[in-house]
Parts: sequence; structure tokens; C-alpha cells
Amino acid sequence: MGLLAVEGLSIGYHTEKGLLHAVEDVSFTVKRGRSLGLVGESGCGKTTLGLAILRLLPENGTILKGRILFDGADLLEKSDEAMRRIRWKEISMIFQAAMNALNPVHRVKDQIAEAILTHEPETPRETVRSRVEALFDQVGIPRSRMGDFPHQYSGGMKQRAVIAMALALRPRLIIADEPTTALDVIVQDQILRQTRRIQEAFDISMIVISHDIAVVAEVCHDIGVLYAGQLVEYGDRESVLQSPMHPYSRMLLGAFLTVGGKPPRVPDNGNDSPDLMDPAPGCRFHDRCPMAEDPCRQTPVASVTVGRTHRVLCRRVA
Amino acid sequence: MELWRYLWRRFIQIGITFFVILTILFVLFRIAPGDPVTRMIGPEMTTEDAVRLISQLGLDRPLWIQYLYYVRNFFTGNFGYSFHYGQPVIEIIWDRLPNTVLLFTSSVILSAVVGVFLGKIAAWRKGKRSDTLMTLGALVTHTVFLPWMALILIWIFAYRFGWFPINGMISEEIWLDPSAGLWIKALDVFHHMVLPLLTLFLIYFGSYLLIMRSAMLETLKEDYILTARAKGLKEKVIRNHHAAPNAALPVVTSVGLSLAFSINGGALTETVFSWPGIGRELVFSVSNNDYPLAQAAFLLISAVVLVSNLVVDLLYAYLDPRIRY
Repeated sequence: MGLLAVEGLSIGYHTEKGLLHAVEDVSFTVKRGRSLGLVGESGCGKTTLGLAILRLLPENGTILKGRILFDGADLLEKSDEAMRRIRWKEISMIFQAAMNALNPVHRVKDQIAEAILTHEPETPRETVRSRVEALFDQVGIPRSRMGDFPHQYSGGMKQRAVIAMALALRPRLIIADEPTTALDVIVQDQILRQTRRIQEAFDISMIVISHDIAVVAEVCHDIGVLYAGQLVEYGDRESVLQSPMHPYSRMLLGAFLTVGGKPPRVPDNGNDSPDLMDPAPGCRFHDRCPMAEDPCRQTPVASVTVGRTHRVLCRRVA
Repeated sequence: MELWRYLWRRFIQIGITFFVILTILFVLFRIAPGDPVTRMIGPEMTTEDAVRLISQLGLDRPLWIQYLYYVRNFFTGNFGYSFHYGQPVIEIIWDRLPNTVLLFTSSVILSAVVGVFLGKIAAWRKGKRSDTLMTLGALVTHTVFLPWMALILIWIFAYRFGWFPINGMISEEIWLDPSAGLWIKALDVFHHMVLPLLTLFLIYFGSYLLIMRSAMLETLKEDYILTARAKGLKEKVIRNHHAAPNAALPVVTSVGLSLAFSINGGALTETVFSWPGIGRELVFSVSNNDYPLAQAAFLLISAVVLVSNLVVDLLYAYLDPRIRY
């Protein structure tokens, strides 16, 4: 039994042109103390999935069907107030700090303290302070910088501060959306290792959302590959990385550059991601797939179990 | 330390700007049609008297000498005598200024506070009926012609209902009554102030509402608002603590500038309500060729505009840490 189980989740956005099918029939579980990486190109629905779990979709986003079971209870059936109490306390989020995730007019320590005081209002001031100090220690920001405003931090420090904030209430699940995207590789590596250490130390489950399969490969136990809103491949890290079954996963891994290795050659017939306004009933990857056949387009695909924990959404694999 | 350097630089800038304004005013008054002397010289004066007066006023000297006198007089606080009142200009200004400041600071503060508050609510309820109602109301009152609004208010509340005095700032019978205490007098001024204050409020709160609303709508799209939601903060906290402080920044500029321009922009209101302030005095002095008074009033207005700009910058620095540090 996983901590979080997403079952058959479909999400749409109401747009001027009609309903956009951003996420289609996605299922996965996140086990206690384990981390799941969701990879895919931009627009594949990975951020939408993350926001949907916290029920923070923008106003025009709606969950069309499916369930999001957290600890056995469906989050989609909770009242707004019950959901508010779950946010950050049970499930917190690490946002991409480069994107202004911290409020520019408040001090960093106050923004972290605010999270604690919102959910645990009884906490004495002194305790809040020492907890915030401990969080700064954990993520490696000097305590002397606690009273700074966000713009005084470097990109890496902001990201650490955002991580510290996500840890403030020891949540059971953290959703990290592109946690290291805007950072240079060395800082990225430090932060990933730190994240992993903290996650293991506190037995926190994680969902890491990234467009970078290298990031996911480094921190996650399980990997899900998203393409145009469909979870095309899902399984434990070893299976997915060593024997990717879906043509798209193979392309993704093929594009993975190794130092000293040959430059990758990604077979691509030039087609772009499919139109999500009115997708064909079949596989959404058929346009770009080197293995596509006629039925791929029209026949809905069912996922195929290829290993104990490995699932692929492709009729050619079956 | 940084702050003092900044302040010092700004003071120098203000000084230079003010000197330029001083010079432009000097030139403007020399090239303006109409001659100050003809106004002062009565038909009963002899030619010798007129010549003596001209030389007393220094008007027979070369222009650049006149300019030097002008500058010296300014720095020694000597603004001359009003042609009309025969009193030192500085006394007239000091007498009228508090009335203007009283009326306009209260109206700007009142309309800013109400406008910001309503703008915040309107943005929060974007698209709902209350938002449409507030936005529409703000647009209508803001675009109404001020004297018309003033006259309508006078007609309804002063003439039809008789709740408020039609014009002026004080009732003489109360101020001449030795037994009337300070409170009675203050209340009397307030009673006179209600209608002009209401006029200015109705005209100006709309602009603050609209500025705040659009700034707030922009702010609500920011990522830190999403963070605040994800943190499980209550909606009210997100609105008042995370969105509003960021959104209020453009309003501060607007408030500062309207404080600056209220001194002269109030000319209409002060004239309609016979409010004894600087604005009315300015209109009066210009239409009566009272050069010394007009000149001093213009200088005062420029000084207020310059200082308000500085105050806005300082306030901005206080509110926005990105500027402060």
C-alpha cells in the first residue's frame, strides 16, 4: 500500500478553443520513504499533475475523472478547509526558486516561520525560531542570512531556502517541481544530494518532477515517463533506465549526453507534440514514433505489464 | 550610510531643479502680457511718483540685475508685498496654506485608504457582480467633471436638505463667540469641510481603486501567491499579507503625486466652495495681476511637488526591500 495512489486521473483545462486534455488516465503510486520521478518534455502535464495533487490547479483546470488517494482517503473529496490543513503539513511542495517562489517583501525566515505558525499556531515564538534555525542548518545556509530578503540570495541559496521551507513541518510527501532547473550543474548536484539525504533521513516520500532524466535518475527509486499527458512508461529506476520499453523513453535516454561519449543521435521525424485539444483516441506518440503502425492512432492503448513493477503504454510492446 | 548618500544626492538634485524652476518663473513673469507697474500706478499719481516707484521696484535696472535681486530676495525669504492685499506675500501664504493642507491631505488619505481597500476586494472577486459594480462606480465617479459634482452635492446636501453650509470654512458667529471652546470650533470647520471633502473623495477614490485592482490582479498571478496557497495559508492571509503589500507599491506613487498636485489641482474645489486656501488664492492672484502673490504660490507648488517626489521614493524604499538593500 502506497502513501499516495493516483488512480486513472484525467485533467483538463478550459480554454477559449475548448477543453484541453492535459493529463489522460494516469495511475501511479508513491510508497512510504520512496521517491518517484516524473519526466517529460514541457507541456507533457507533469506540473499539472503535481498541482492537482495539492488541488492547486489554476481556475480553468478541472479534474475530469480519477482518484487521488493519500493515506487511503481521496483528496478530491475533502472540503476546502480540510485540504488547506493537509497542504504543507502533510504534502508540501518545492517550487523552482528561480520563478519567484519566495515573496519579495518578506524576510526568508518569516516566510518559513509563517508555514509553521499557520499549521501549528500554538508553537511558542522561541521554538519557532530554533526550528527555523535548524532548517537553515540542514540545508546549509548560514544562520546570519536568515533575516535577508529573497533578492539578497543567490539562485542556489534561494533553492535551499525553498527546500528548507518545504521541510518545515516534516511532511510525509514532498512534491518537487523542477527543483534544480535554473541552477548550474555543480550547485544542482549539491542540492540533489542534499535533497536525497534529507529525504532518506526523515523517511519522506517524494515526487520529483523534471524535464531532465539525469536529475530523476540521480534521486528517484521509481521513474514515470510522461508524454502528452499519458504516462507512457512507469517502473523502478533500474528497469526503466536499463531496459526502457516505450519508444519515447528510448528516445529520451538516447538523448542523454555522456561526457566523452558519442554525441547522441535522436531519431526524430520532425513532428511536434500532438494537439491536446482533440487528441486521437490511440497512442499520443504515434506521430513521432519510429515504430508506429496504422492501428496505433485509432485504437486506445492499454498499459502492458512487462516486469514485476514495470508498465508500458504501447501496443507494439505487447 | 547608503541611505544618507542617496538622500544627499537627491537633495542636490532637488536644489538644482528648484533653481531651474525659479529661473523659468522669472522669465515667464517678464514675458507675460500686462505690466505690473501700470497696475500699481494710479491715475492720481504724478509722473515723478511713477518713476520713483519704478526705480524703487528696481524695474529700471537691467534684467540680469533684477534676476540677482530676485534670487537674493528668494533666499532671504522676501517675497514682496501683495498688490491686492498690501500685506507681505509670505503672510498670506502662511495664512492660506494650512487650510489647503487640511482639506487635501484628508481627502487624499481618505480616498487612498478606501480606494486601496475596495480595489483589493474587487480584484479578489474578479468577474463577480460586486467587482463589476465597484469598477463601474469608480469609473463613473472618477470621470465626472469636478465642479459639476461639487455643485450637485451642494444642491442636494446644502440647499435641499440644508445639512451642511454652502461655502466657506468657518461660521463667524461661532468663531466670534468668546464662550465657544476649541472643540466647537473644530467641529464647525469639520462641518464646513464635509462637502468639499466628499467631492474630492468621490472624484479621486476611483483612480486608487482602479490602480490597486489592476496591480492586485497582476500580483495574484505571481508564483509566490501559488507558494502561499500551497503553504495552506488562509485566503485572507494570502490576500492581505502576500498579495496586497506587493500590489500597493504603484498606489504609493499615485498618492504621492496627487498630494503634490492637490495644492493647485484644488483650485476648482476651493473656488466652488470658497475654501480659503492656496488654490483659490492662486486663481485670484492670476486674474488680478497680483504678480508677487502668484509668483510665490507657483514656487510653493513646485517645492511641494519636488518634496513629494522625494517622499514617495523614500516610502517606496521602505515598502520594497529590493530597493532598500
